Amino acid sequence: MPQTFNQLPEELQLATTAHVKYIQSLDSRKDEYDYWLTEHLRLNGLYWGLTALHLLGHPDALPRSETIDFVLSCQHDSGGFGAAPGHDAHMLSTVSAVQILAMIDAFDELETRGKGKAQVGKYIANLQNRETGTFAGDEWGEEDTRFLYGAFNALSLLGLLDLVDVDKAVNHIAACANFDGGYGVSPGAESHAGQIFTCVAALTIAGRQDLVDKERLGRWLSERQIAGGGLNGRPEKKEDVCYSWWVLSSLEMIGKTHWIDRDQLVAFILRCQDPERGGISDRPGDMVDVWHTVFGIAGLSLLQYPGLQPVDEVYCMPKSATAWVLGR
Amino acid sequence: MADQGGSQHGIARTSRVRTDEQKKRDLERIARYRELEDQVRARAAEGDYSPAVFQLTSRLLRLNPEYYTIWNVRRRCLISGSFSRLSAGSSCSTACSTSSRTATTAPSSTSCSSSSSATTPPAPGPPTAGKSGTTAEPTPAAADPPEATESEPSEAETRDLATLQAELVFTIPLLLESPKCYWIWSYRLWLLQQAIARLRAPLARTVWEEELGLATKMLGKDRRNFHAWGYRRHVVARLESPSLRGGSMVEAEFAYTDRMIMSDLSNFSAWHSRSRLIPRLLAERGADEAARRAFLDKELQQIREALNVGPEDQSLWYYHQFLILNLVYPNKHPAMTPGFTLQDRVAYLRREIEEIKELLEDYADIQLIYEGLFEYTLYLCQLEGKKPKASERTDLVAWLGKLKQLDPMRRGRWADLEREHDLTEGGSDV
Repeated sequence: MPQTFNQLPEELQLATTAHVKYIQSLDSRKDEYDYWLTEHLRLNGLYWGLTALHLLGHPDALPRSETIDFVLSCQHDSGGFGAAPGHDAHMLSTVSAVQILAMIDAFDELETRGKGKAQVGKYIANLQNRETGTFAGDEWGEEDTRFLYGAFNALSLLGLLDLVDVDKAVNHIAACANFDGGYGVSPGAESHAGQIFTCVAALTIAGRQDLVDKERLGRWLSERQIAGGGLNGRPEKKEDVCYSWWVLSSLEMIGKTHWIDRDQLVAFILRCQDPERGGISDRPGDMVDVWHTVFGIAGLSLLQYPGLQPVDEVYCMPKSATAWVLGR
Repeated sequence: MADQGGSQHGIARTSRVRTDEQKKRDLERIARYRELEDQVRARAAEGDYSPAVFQLTSRLLRLNPEYYTIWNVRRRCLISGSFSRLSAGSSCSTACSTSSRTATTAPSSTSCSSSSSATTPPAPGPPTAGKSGTTAEPTPAAADPPEATESEPSEAETRDLATLQAELVFTIPLLLESPKCYWIWSYRLWLLQQAIARLRAPLARTVWEEELGLATKMLGKDRRNFHAWGYRRHVVARLESPSLRGGSMVEAEFAYTDRMIMSDLSNFSAWHSRSRLIPRLLAERGADEAARRAFLDKELQQIREALNVGPEDQSLWYYHQFLILNLVYPNKHPAMTPGFTLQDRVAYLRREIEEIKELLEDYADIQLIYEGLFEYTLYLCQLEGKKPKASERTDLVAWLGKLKQLDPMRRGRWADLEREHDLTEGGSDV
């Protein structure tokens, strides 16, 4: 693939301007019913949109101070964040809040105007099941390797990973491994590309990639690419743009991205974009949303699509941000 | 983070231009929705978890089952005394019959909007009121579950049971409409935990037993739904546990995978489940060496027959790999046949390779067959502790050539394998 953008044929052009506008427009859709039905995802949505903008090279397309105000308005005394003001605190929105603040270099504001890093760390650490090592999503106890990864992601960005029992959590992940090299939601559960991302990324953060059966997992992951170039999340399932992230980032972490066909996946993701009105959908011709938009763009970034900022395969944030925050 | 159910899946892209009439209708719906939402949130913020608020959560959750905070409000309504006060007939069982679907929206497939410029101040209400720390066992308003006796259920127990059952009924239509909504599944599991905490074991057991039926029903509608499979595993584990005075269900669950596989050979979720059940199944049967050998023979025969019909099906090959790994790495994977000698394992592997070669007579262009032959031949060399013989090497080179030709998408992997096993044509140290 040519290394400069304007050498690409039209069907392989990323509609950057349209995508930026689409993401900017998301908060001005208050006359749409869906806007209100999705308030429980607002903070996550902000993280998805902001990450996409950073990768597209438009980090300032959303106003920084309003972003910080909104994030801090979602925080509870416990340190945890809800999805929007008035929503209960949850691991998922707390991780998004930390990722957003990290991306726009606003941890200082968390100290001065929010409840502070230490309180956020405490909230997350309290969600660890000290017997099994895994994490709950909130006080009501649902457990899932997604939450374990979220905890590792946010705590490592905050520099507070020592608040939790990392070894126990690592043992829990090892117990989620299956014969096919993949990982599930919990011990015994079927391998699933989304959970594989969470488990391999958590092991990477913990410095324990030695536990991953890279040959077997790489094979399974590479077999997710199906005719048409897209990736599915489990055997014999349909392809979906979001797996361009879950599968590809996992392959990247274990050094096997070259085991799939890069050009066909690029073309598939680009066929899912709405070039006029912006946004990316799960499959060609479907409705777009910010979730598929960020994971499509992050996938393109991993595939070194020209003009995109490099994405960190472990954190799903711009590499420049994680390098700075983690002091790499 | 993984999908939280708020993204668009499989909805056709249409023009985003709405008519004035549609816009007006949307505004009316928004107004109704927000009014309801404001009521629930305002009252919950004041610590009002009365039956009236509980009823409002029913209405709101039918419109939007993804609204996790409202599920939490509902839990608090039940816990804050309502568990024994809220009689089954008062609010829920009448308002939540399985046929009363009022929601016309599909909240599980709504778009996710980001909000960067929201300026709403934080709600003044208290933050989450629960205890810190995590446990899967919520603290019920009642103390310990009643001692197990043979007497009739107490009045409180009867009320709690009715409440729980009404709640379980309430979530069913929501689950049928949004079978991938994490929040509904986790709410349901929380209810089941409440049953253990509040009811004596025999009574709690009846509640949990019903759930197996639900898991079966949901898997009947979508046989790959991993929420339903996970739920099923969880329910079975609990039904087997001492807290519900259970016994092993491994035979029944294994038979369930049989049925699922019979109706769809391609259902990898069922094959996976089988792979997890087998070690326990054999142990609990007290299977001796002969029984284990017979079991493995039967599994291999079944999967070979399936491969004869669908050699392009990854699900079947993954399960075949599972059986082979048992032979190749008896210490790493739960061994089905720990008593096999090295000669046994080599003989089995040789036979499988020969059987797979026969598949080529009918299917010359299926890459998974070549991949199987390639992988298993290398295993054979590994077991025998030697490098491939000249004839084996010739085969490996030829199969890899076929893989490159039939499956160019994964050419990077074929190139790595070629290098790793020194299989470039011509150059070798045989």
